[in-house]
Amino acid sequence: MTTWLLFLPLIPALGWLAWAALRHAVPLSYNWRSLWQRKVATLSTAAAIAVVVAIFVVVRSLSQGISHAFVSSGRSDQAVVLRANARVELNSTLERDQVRVLKADPLLARDASGVLASAECYVIMMLDYADGTGGTNVAVRGLEPAGIRMRDRVRLVQGRWFNPGLWEMVVPARMAWRFQGLRLGQSISFAGHRWPIVGVFDAEGSAFDSELWTGVEQLMQARKRDAYSTMLVRLADPDRLPGFIRQVDADKRLKLEAKAETDYYGEQTEAGKPIQVLGNLITAILTLGAIFAAMNTMYSAVAGRTAEIGTLRALGFRRVEILASFQWEALMLCSMGGLAGALLAQGFNGIQTSTVNFQTFSDVSFAFTITPGLMAQGVAFSILMGLAGGFLPAWRASRIPVTEAMNS
Amino acid sequence: MKYLHLIWRSLLRSRRRTLLTVLSLGVSVFLVATLQSILGTLDGFAHNPDSANRMVVRHKTSITNVLPFRYGDWLRQQPEVEAVMGLQWFGGIYQDQRNFFANFAVEPEYLVPMFKEEVRGVTEAQVRDFVRDRTGCVVGQALADKFGWKLGTVVPLQGTIFPFTPRLTIRAIFRGKRTADEMALYFPYKHLEESIPRMKGKVGTFWVRVRSADDVPRLIERIDHHFSDALEPTYSETENAFQLEFLKMLGDYATMIHTITAAVLAAILIVTASTMAMTIRERTTEIAVFRAMGFTGRQVLGLLMAEGVLLSAMGGLAGIGLALVTAGAVRGNIGTSIPWLSDFQLQPATLLFCLQATLAVGVLSTFIPAYQAVRRPIVEGLRSL
Repeated sequence: MTTWLLFLPLIPALGWLAWAALRHAVPLSYNWRSLWQRKVATLSTAAAIAVVVAIFVVVRSLSQGISHAFVSSGRSDQAVVLRANARVELNSTLERDQVRVLKADPLLARDASGVLASAECYVIMMLDYADGTGGTNVAVRGLEPAGIRMRDRVRLVQGRWFNPGLWEMVVPARMAWRFQGLRLGQSISFAGHRWPIVGVFDAEGSAFDSELWTGVEQLMQARKRDAYSTMLVRLADPDRLPGFIRQVDADKRLKLEAKAETDYYGEQTEAGKPIQVLGNLITAILTLGAIFAAMNTMYSAVAGRTAEIGTLRALGFRRVEILASFQWEALMLCSMGGLAGALLAQGFNGIQTSTVNFQTFSDVSFAFTITPGLMAQGVAFSILMGLAGGFLPAWRASRIPVTEAMNS
Repeated sequence: MKYLHLIWRSLLRSRRRTLLTVLSLGVSVFLVATLQSILGTLDGFAHNPDSANRMVVRHKTSITNVLPFRYGDWLRQQPEVEAVMGLQWFGGIYQDQRNFFANFAVEPEYLVPMFKEEVRGVTEAQVRDFVRDRTGCVVGQALADKFGWKLGTVVPLQGTIFPFTPRLTIRAIFRGKRTADEMALYFPYKHLEESIPRMKGKVGTFWVRVRSADDVPRLIERIDHHFSDALEPTYSETENAFQLEFLKMLGDYATMIHTITAAVLAAILIVTASTMAMTIRERTTEIAVFRAMGFTGRQVLGLLMAEGVLLSAMGGLAGIGLALVTAGAVRGNIGTSIPWLSDFQLQPATLLFCLQATLAVGVLSTFIPAYQAVRRPIVEGLRSL
């Protein structure tokens, strides 16, 4: 959202330009044809701008993909209960008697099969990449059956859900091809057991797309744990969520803390911060470079057309109109590059990649998603470059004295 | 050399264009230099010559599983081994989550022998104080400076992995070769073990110092074989491999940086080529006059090429200069979000690469327009006079 604020100054500038174009000004076709008079300069500047815009769009989609993985994971009527100060599920422990106390809470929602609360176990394990280039830590989540029902964005695409009493795993489709042994029908060896993969799910790019799922009791038994990690609960009335959180935090028996599920995942977007910082830096620098290049091209366009400008002035066009005309030309030049760049970036759409969540040391997989919104941002960005890069040359064009211009 | 003045004057002819091109080249080269140096700095952590003698033994399942403490005794009995130290990542927070720094529980008596290269400048008295005080700790100079700590300061660390908040008294402050090494705190393992029942007799990793780096591969194999049938099997690797694993987790940052570098270089090639084409086209007449005066085609070509190379070299040097000036700021800003980059340094090899790349851009971008200009018949060039 904040990115769009950056484009706010575009609105008055574009408004003014549109007004200037509508008011019997220098026809736009004149600018369009002038651009093609200098094909090489136009195309090369547009190409440079296309590269910058493509990088801008791809980098933004990268950081958006990471945030999306976390932000879209939570529901506003659900809460995660953790050990006080644990911050992330990996660090948390929850004893069985604490779970019993929590499950008896009258605020919790119920469905036909019982209370909507799932005590879960969250651990990480090493998995080898499918291409044999080493391995990384991935998260394994043990759930109670209610846990699957409570995550309504997760749906099964292949096979079946795990049987809570068996050593079985269900894996996200996004991870299935990235790691060894994660396809349906294959099996992985973990904590002294073989776990066949009985199903493949899709979680719409949320954080669950980076987790292997199995039955909680099986996982705890395999890892020789007698404590859960966390519990996910759904409230019957979403408005009671703050009250529930206060109640858990204040309960001295439990020494636990509850967080709204949306807040919990919101905090984890920190995982995308290094890429975001780097991305912003890269874009800022490249933009500067592109603006200089655009300015250069426009200055030489102005210099090469002094006589034409003089003629326009002699014909009765006013300074403001000439300023607007050249500004339009710069906009055309840059937005051409911007469109090309956005299309170029489209080529990255759907490519899978991953980073690590340093709070859980585990892999976060996500896909580049080049949405139309992002592409529009890219084009808006190129227009911004056009305004910034075109203004000084256009100003200069409008200031050339008529007599001098006619002389050359 | 006698034409240098001529070349310089022709660059100055359109000052604004030259300046804009240099600036546009400069910022791009600055970006490439900085990004490639980030890559180089990160790689430095996975290719640390000082850690050639060290290896890490951890649980085979994952980094969060723990090993029995007694494994350390067996490791110490191996003839190749110089020192063994149990080390547990504590992950404590000092005051606020944003004050992140690495903190570990270690066996205090082995800390200095293990990290001879990284933990330096502590007196024997300080080490003795640290070993004796179960609630003591050792911190790096850079870390102490960041928070204004001195010997004797009490540092409360709020545990995240372990429900326990030790209050640690600083007993020694060490210096290291790199800032990232100094951004660490070590406290006695016993303190953690006594406070957290489930950690009794358990530790996350063993760091092993081997007498000769040549023995490391065989020792790795022997350790893992020895514990392969144990309830808690081990996974051993060199310290560099261990570091690399963490770096790789950042994502495929290397591919990303190389892609961006290639794209940026292509973009500046295009931009410079377009500038040079403009410059040369404007000078068609002038070139014809030069040749009419007796300059050979090759000489004119050389003059134009020299101009292009000089232009791009100026851009390249401007970029490198900018990178040198801002290196400190990069260290300060990105270093806080990616801990490894608190040692960000411009790599000489990278700067050389940038210079070579810009020179190549100069040559490549000028050749075609210059060649075309020289090939054009003199008469045609003079016609527009």
